[in-house]
Amino acid sequence: MNRIEAPRLKEIDTINFIEPRKVLIGNIAPFYSIENQGSEAARIELFFKAGTIIDRPVLASLCSGLLLAGTSKESATDIHNNIDDLGGFFDINLSQEHTVVSVYALNDQIIPLLTIVMDAMHNASFPEAEIEEQIADKKQRLRVSYEKVNFLCQRDFQKRLFEGTNYAKVTEIEDYETVTRAEIIDFFNSNYRNGLLKATLVGRLQEKQLIEIEQLLEPWAGKEVTNDTPIFKQQKGNYHIEKTATVQTGIRIGRIMFDRKHEDYHGFVIMNTIFGDYFGSRLMKNIREDKGYTYGIGSALAEMKDNGYFIIGTEVGAEVAAATLKEIQFEMTHMKEQLVDKEELELVRNYLLGQALKSADGPFAMMDLFLGVEMHGLDYSFYNEALKKLKLITAVEIQSLAKKYLVWEEMLVITAGQQLID
Amino acid sequence: MRPKQRKILQNFNFNMIQFERFELKNGLKVIFHKDTSTPMAVVNTLYDVGARDEQEDKTGFAHLFEHLMFGGSVNIPSYDAPLQNAGGESNAFTSNDITNYYNVLPAQNIETALWLESDRMLSLAFSPKSLEVQRSVVIEEFKQRYLNQPYGDDWLLLRPLAYLKHPYKWATIGKSLQHIEEVQLDDVKAFFQKHYNPANAILCISGNFEFEYIKQLVEHWYGNIPGGIKPARILPQEPKQTEFRKAIYERDVPADAFYYAFKMGERKSEEYYIADMLSDELGKEKSSVLYLKLKKELQLVTDINAYILGSLDQGLFIISGKMMNGKSMDELDSALWEVLNEFQLNPITAQELKRLKLKIRTSREFQEQGLLNRTMNLAYYELLGDANGINEEHEIYNAIEVEHLQELSKQLFVKENCSLLQIKATQSHE
Repeated sequence: MNRIEAPRLKEIDTINFIEPRKVLIGNIAPFYSIENQGSEAARIELFFKAGTIIDRPVLASLCSGLLLAGTSKESATDIHNNIDDLGGFFDINLSQEHTVVSVYALNDQIIPLLTIVMDAMHNASFPEAEIEEQIADKKQRLRVSYEKVNFLCQRDFQKRLFEGTNYAKVTEIEDYETVTRAEIIDFFNSNYRNGLLKATLVGRLQEKQLIEIEQLLEPWAGKEVTNDTPIFKQQKGNYHIEKTATVQTGIRIGRIMFDRKHEDYHGFVIMNTIFGDYFGSRLMKNIREDKGYTYGIGSALAEMKDNGYFIIGTEVGAEVAAATLKEIQFEMTHMKEQLVDKEELELVRNYLLGQALKSADGPFAMMDLFLGVEMHGLDYSFYNEALKKLKLITAVEIQSLAKKYLVWEEMLVITAGQQLID
Repeated sequence: MRPKQRKILQNFNFNMIQFERFELKNGLKVIFHKDTSTPMAVVNTLYDVGARDEQEDKTGFAHLFEHLMFGGSVNIPSYDAPLQNAGGESNAFTSNDITNYYNVLPAQNIETALWLESDRMLSLAFSPKSLEVQRSVVIEEFKQRYLNQPYGDDWLLLRPLAYLKHPYKWATIGKSLQHIEEVQLDDVKAFFQKHYNPANAILCISGNFEFEYIKQLVEHWYGNIPGGIKPARILPQEPKQTEFRKAIYERDVPADAFYYAFKMGERKSEEYYIADMLSDELGKEKSSVLYLKLKKELQLVTDINAYILGSLDQGLFIISGKMMNGKSMDELDSALWEVLNEFQLNPITAQELKRLKLKIRTSREFQEQGLLNRTMNLAYYELLGDANGINEEHEIYNAIEVEHLQELSKQLFVKENCSLLQIKATQSHE
């Protein structure tokens, strides 16, 4: 038998995108749902405008942790007991632009669960004792984070890259000393009440149950504030955060980019995949698989509302941190000076096609895929464009994108750990 | 534990996970799970070898070996590139018990995964360069996960406290960087010879295929791999613990941390399921017993959890957390034992038991959303004795009664069954 030659590959011909059902809650906030056939699992996600950029991040953080912390009638424990009785779960995720409240349960239990959560939020009383406990917990967690080089360089990267905008704001220990209950309540009233920007459901419910959900959410519906998009200036330069007695150094390198509506977006994603965004990328091949400097390294195009940024991240042996920076610089230069060969481009093409197919597999993945375009005011034609670009892009185009964006001198470079050794 | 009687609750309409099974002449066990709803396929290979099979002077080896499995095989120089070229991705993990490799790729290219996976079962390339590089990568992994993180070395300290003889006394990553530095290519070859053969593996494939097609493909790619001998596993047995053990380490961290480790039954025992539920009740959610008493009421801790290690041999029931600044671990110790003693006397209500079962049911439904999860689990249950265990487990959970939890808590939560690790913070914060 022939074990040398690879089996013949078959092209991926179609990817099926499923359009969610859409209605407006209170005539303002979209509610999207996708049916989860053949399963009892149901998830509802609520997107509130209460992210960290809207005010002091400490308020967003504390408020999100106190949403289910008690009402005048029920304690936090009562509420959690009620959620448990339904066999349900919840989590609350805070990001720069949103707070997302997610609830998970079996189909039968998802509406009772949502009812409990919305009721707890509607009557949230922000008890003093709960606030104090939350502050003590968060301070400790932050102190633990201060011990991680990864956290230190990521945070400094954020502060410098977004300098002069709300995206640069972070929480320090001192912020917890000055925050008051009244401020937290104000934050809640301005950013949760009439702050529900959109909601999603993946599950198998009847039409009348969907209407029930809409009614539950209606009092919360609000409109996205159309703040002026902040102006980000390109930040560059090298900065080191000294942290003694560490055996690895954290590294972040990046620059401001653009969002999904930019003409270079699709091409850049393909170029970046080659450079640093999959296991066989240039960065991984060189810095992990050839030099053994790290357990992992990667680059990404991170997305924000109307904006985006490029970021390279890794943790490497303290003694090879300086050498790693040189190798990253070398890989950028290499991308700019040499055309990608046919074989590598073909591999990345096929790889990305396979990943696209996987990212559309199943109703939960499909909802995430949908939200990825919805947040930018786009639709599924965006993905069809991406697939088209994948088929048509040339090595010359990739090179010109690298020349345009992978410019070492324009990068912000943050390291955290021991002093760098040349 | 088997259910005493079949009690099917109204809401419990389980979707059975269907599968078929066959075995090749060389001893390879194969499970096939058909899913018509997905365009993807999963090829999962479980090798019945883990860190517990290592020699005490060569720890961390099973895991390092897992890295080497991606360094090219006898006929194919690169593992990852052809798979990526087929639109797929691959990864693996090593535990104290098993080493598990998986490929996820578009279904129409499944043959690529079988070609690659079968060739590395046949033989590796054993390249010196791959060993040299992966040794460094694993050393960096060791640093990144265990040495350069606050509380990162907790399990490196807890394992040798809880286990004196059994190889569970070292972590999968290994006892020390030195063991990894010393590995030779001959060690790699010997390990492959002993553990990586069809008789020591379970292959599980899923996707929208016909069974006959899969059978024919597997026969083609794996049929002529020489059958080895499934290595006998004779491990040092852990003597019954008869004394309370305690170790205290100082670390430059912001808060004291504690880890209570109680010996519990092995994965295949009835006790495992009861302990699983018991750990949920004691310390999983914000309504759990330990959380309510030690955090909400006494405000001794910022964080407390109870969970179990589902080890194939004797496992551990862990209660761990971090102290609120200003509170002492002695205070916590007496309060914790008081809660555990109280629980033995007055365990839980029927309502609480019912909701524990419902939560297990919800979790299961979400876990089974993913094709990869289902495929891995089928292989793991086959290792436990029967892939169909995946469909039988809910009845075992359903048959658990309050008394079972009470009995087990009496048996587990005694001082002589406990090893306590305390991390004393040298940083001070008001």
